[in-house]
Amino acid sequence: MSVDTDRTYFFEFKGKKVVLWKLVESASTDTVGSYRVRLPDSYYKNQLIYPDEAITNGLRFEYTALSKVFVEEDPQSTVDSSLTEATSPSEESHVNLNRMRSLAVVDYIKAQINETKGDFQMKEYYMREFYKKIGDSESNMRNISINFPVSPFSVK
Amino acid sequence: MTIQEIMERTGLKDYSLAKAYINDAVHLLQSTSADTVKVSYSNITVASDGDDNQYDLPADLISLKSISVKDTQDSKYKKVKRLVNSPTVAEDTSPST
Repeated sequence: MSVDTDRTYFFEFKGKKVVLWKLVESASTDTVGSYRVRLPDSYYKNQLIYPDEAITNGLRFEYTALSKVFVEEDPQSTVDSSLTEATSPSEESHVNLNRMRSLAVVDYIKAQINETKGDFQMKEYYMREFYKKIGDSESNMRNISINFPVSPFSVK
Repeated sequence: MTIQEIMERTGLKDYSLAKAYINDAVHLLQSTSADTVKVSYSNITVASDGDDNQYDLPADLISLKSISVKDTQDSKYKKVKRLVNSPTVAEDTSPST
């Protein structure tokens, strides 16, 4: 049984792979009769071992991916879970982004068009606009409001 | 916003190119910020070979948010930390010892 996996499991990347390790505090043991005994020349220590337990669906990845990029309905008019993916998108299909992010996409395309023309100054301008709009859209989710009392005197 | 509206705003006439640019833009957007977050699972297996503790990343991954391992005692997925330093073993020919 895996317990406290946030403290006992670790990972590292090896190219496209995730390598999983388990941390145990143990020594090399052997079974004598029905008793598990620590070997005399082995010492007790922290060790990284291979996962010693099979867990069905034990590893969970949370990540961003391209999903339902084009949809049939206007994403501003219905919730995301009700949107139908446009498997063969047409010009009438919607891009599954909110208004601000859709405007960012417009800036991205303008940047690419200017790059094709060889106008790198305009390309940089539109890419800056692209990131600015993404930033605006992100900060709209994390608005922090600070209120101050209004001074009763107009002149300070 | 429809693809047509994006084409009108950018002056693009080629539909396929517009669609490709939109895909690129959404890809970049997903890379820098999270618009759609997905979850996938993999089975953890007991090692019997030298690379049995290696698992494939999701094929459609753009940006990884977290990796969790299931705590079977309370049936919850708990985020695991990345190792700062790799273990000194480069190849393990006997994983069970």
